[in-house]
Amino acid sequence: MDKKMLQRTRIFIYLVIVIFIVLLLRLAFLQVYRYEYYWARAEKNRLRILPITAPRGEIFARDGEQLVTNRPGFTVSLVDLGQGYNENTITYLSRLLAMDEAEIWQKIDSQFYRRYLPVRLKTDVSMETVSKIAERRLEYPGVLIEVQPIRNYVHGKFLAHVLGYMGEGVVPPWVEEHWEETGYEYQQGEPVGQAGLELAWEPLLRGEDGGIQVEVNSTGQAIGEFERVEPKPGHDLYLTIDASLQLVVEEALNETVEDLMAGNNRYAGEAAAVVLDPRCGAILAMADTPVYNPNTFSEDFPILEQDPHRPLVNKVIEEHYPVGSTFKMVTAMAALQEGAITKEGRVFCGGTITRYNATKSCFRGTVHGSLNILQALQRSCNIFFYEMGLRVGVDTLAHYCREFGFGSPVGLTDIFGEKKGIVASREFKRNLYQEAWYPAETMDAAIGQSFHSITPLQLANYTAMVANGGIHYRPYLVEKVVDCEGNLVMVAEPEVLHKMEVEQAHWETIQQGMSLVTTPGGTGARMADFPVKVAAKTGTAQVVGRDGSIPAHSLFVAYAPFEEPEIALAVFIKHGEDWRGSTSLPVARKILEAYFQIPTD
Amino acid sequence: MFDRHLLKNFDYQLFLLVLLICAYGLLVLSSATRGVAGDDPFFYVRKQAIWIAIGFGLMLLVVSINYLQFYRVSWYLYAANLVFLGAVLFVGKEGVGAYRWIDLKFFDFQPSELAKIIIIITLARLLADIEEEKPKNLAVMFPFLIHVFIPMLLIFLQPDLGTALVFIALLFGMLYMAGFPWKNLLALAGAGLAVSPLLWLRLHDYQKLRLLVFLNPDLDPLRYGYQLKQSMIAIGSGGLVGKGLYQGSQARLQFLPAQHTDFIFSVLGEECGFVGALVLLVLYFFLIYRILKIGSLSKDHFGAFICVGVATMILFQVLVNVGMVLSIMPVTGLPLPFMSYGGNSLLLNMLSIGLVLNVGIRRHKIQF
Repeated sequence: MDKKMLQRTRIFIYLVIVIFIVLLLRLAFLQVYRYEYYWARAEKNRLRILPITAPRGEIFARDGEQLVTNRPGFTVSLVDLGQGYNENTITYLSRLLAMDEAEIWQKIDSQFYRRYLPVRLKTDVSMETVSKIAERRLEYPGVLIEVQPIRNYVHGKFLAHVLGYMGEGVVPPWVEEHWEETGYEYQQGEPVGQAGLELAWEPLLRGEDGGIQVEVNSTGQAIGEFERVEPKPGHDLYLTIDASLQLVVEEALNETVEDLMAGNNRYAGEAAAVVLDPRCGAILAMADTPVYNPNTFSEDFPILEQDPHRPLVNKVIEEHYPVGSTFKMVTAMAALQEGAITKEGRVFCGGTITRYNATKSCFRGTVHGSLNILQALQRSCNIFFYEMGLRVGVDTLAHYCREFGFGSPVGLTDIFGEKKGIVASREFKRNLYQEAWYPAETMDAAIGQSFHSITPLQLANYTAMVANGGIHYRPYLVEKVVDCEGNLVMVAEPEVLHKMEVEQAHWETIQQGMSLVTTPGGTGARMADFPVKVAAKTGTAQVVGRDGSIPAHSLFVAYAPFEEPEIALAVFIKHGEDWRGSTSLPVARKILEAYFQIPTD
Repeated sequence: MFDRHLLKNFDYQLFLLVLLICAYGLLVLSSATRGVAGDDPFFYVRKQAIWIAIGFGLMLLVVSINYLQFYRVSWYLYAANLVFLGAVLFVGKEGVGAYRWIDLKFFDFQPSELAKIIIIITLARLLADIEEEKPKNLAVMFPFLIHVFIPMLLIFLQPDLGTALVFIALLFGMLYMAGFPWKNLLALAGAGLAVSPLLWLRLHDYQKLRLLVFLNPDLDPLRYGYQLKQSMIAIGSGGLVGKGLYQGSQARLQFLPAQHTDFIFSVLGEECGFVGALVLLVLYFFLIYRILKIGSLSKDHFGAFICVGVATMILFQVLVNVGMVLSIMPVTGLPLPFMSYGGNSLLLNMLSIGLVLNVGIRRHKIQF
């Protein structure tokens, strides 16, 4: 090594010496000069961090009605004062809080890495428990009462499936992955949204926890506050839901289902309805029955789980059903656009039709005579649509189903879990039964029977598409997001997912047909006296049962006002078509009355 | 390939120093982690001991290969390094908000650790290749800057600010030893300072907070500020001779979230006091001294530069880690060499020492 390098090596070593001396001086300062001070602080080192849970964002309806808020609740926690945890204290708490000692120890163990934080044992304890602990504070050091926000669903079961609920459980793995990708960190074991908006909007609803760095005394009470970091409350959601309309929908569904069940219809018990704005996709009301009460979800869970009508399932999006004749606008559009019939073209209904060795009859054996497409829709003639189905074929029919948004989720992302449903097609049958499609089955498919299975949301979206001339808007529930200071974080923008390319005149034809449904002679003639002109379609979805006497599902879709549609709706009453006739129509009528503020008679 | 005569020049002192520091580290680790892993109180100690054993094996393996072989393959090493660092950004495993690891099933490989030694080797070659007179010229510096900045940028993107800073230290340490004039190095430092505000803007909020929190712990009282305060209480309360191994009250309460990794020095300070800390720093001093000594005896510039690089790396990490724990340096999360728990950093340090020993035993041009 040359001389210059040797010299530089020497300088390097001097630098090392200087650095080490600096470090040693600092060490000496802390360990020798300031020893007493730090020794005293370590001796009574009870510097702890008490986390302050951020209040979760609140949820409001479009009219400002408060739906979800937070109320203060008491949480019992245990803090390590430096001597570990006292067996007596644990025994005492286990009795007082009705928890197993093992459970308490497990909670303590799960926080081993962060022992300077209190261990939360039980949230939302009663005032009585709090006063008992306060009385015996000196006997059981380290027991802490914290005030934490508890989620409060103001109207109990109202809008429950949309709102969701909170729990300390885990979230579905795909949600967790999604959050990881978007950089949202959530702590296992902390309360987290479990369904509905609470789950899907968790990252925005949850705020940022704060905390206090405090010194606690020998009984665990905070003495003198040190540093405090205020929690950041979560963002508030303002929904597209019209609370008063939603209330009408929920009450109508509940009454209907209760009536059916009281009338010895042992199949009834579930129903769903959705109201959309066909001009943008905003969901004004979205209800189903039965639901859970999010305030008491965990206590009720064992019962909810057993309920045959599945209150845990949001039937508007997570369930799909046969929809019967409400399907016929699909066949009508396929036939018109593919040239299988014109607006004036007529078909003769003699009550039955026999093709491909299969004889099928019109609904309850009715004979309609000669009718055009408008009359066929008005009276829901099966023979007419069997004929149309055969003229266009199953593949074309399936294509139009997909055009109308069937067979895949319609795009609601404000809550998770939307099902795709089923479109009757050759592929579907082949995959299910490994069997070829029979031409006669095309007839069933053309009137909404066969394998078709559609979610109530898909049905409402399809009705909205008929109303607005084929535009598929993404349905949405959250109108805007506002932060805790009132700043706008996000405003919903209508999003067109698909636009059907068909002749404008065909829309008008189908719309006209639907408007005739609510006139005398139409299947919805009970709406004839309604002051606003309503376009609608009835549906009766037969369900094949062993004894054949199972009541059909009752369906009703509608939009109004006919000339300038503002709302589109779908009502589904499971097994709701018994000897009394349609039960979905009265529900739809109540919804329309509420929306147009028409006094009921 | 391996000549027994080479053993004559094996630097037993350096080897012994590493062994001592590792043993010291295990002792402190056993205190820092007692009770943490549930049923097995020696879970971390055992794992670390296995890494140390593997590390010594690796060290001897590196010693047996003539270091000039590394000179030959240096460009392949550099390319492989970039591939690893690029890969970690895509297939990396997340931990504490950064993508630093590649999951190899049996081992979470951290390419940024390996990158340090690869940059030492490749930069040493680049510097050894320039002629004696060249360093005077300011423009000659640019290839070296680019050489170091590319991997540094990739590490910065992970983001791992601490490791990225090690590269700056390496650059200065090695350029200095290669004979670049003071004024050139100062110009470089000045340019670095001039662009640092731009870098500051690119930092995440938590990184900024970590860099500033040592100036005022109350900036972040719930995390790093709290951690630093507790670290100071731990060290200060250790006094001259400490509270005795396994007797630290701060350590027992797990006050320091990373007390077995980045904050191991505060456990040492609490339990072994000033004397214990002094012993460790003296060991580090002699370690660095021996490395520089071996470098000064090297038969070629390549070997000398490798030794300087390794010495710079260890010095910088000791300074930044101990400085952080003593709250005179920003929180950057660099491990303490041979002391902090963790396989990647340990293996890398062992490899580096292996290279230095290698330079040492082949210091004569002709061996009999």
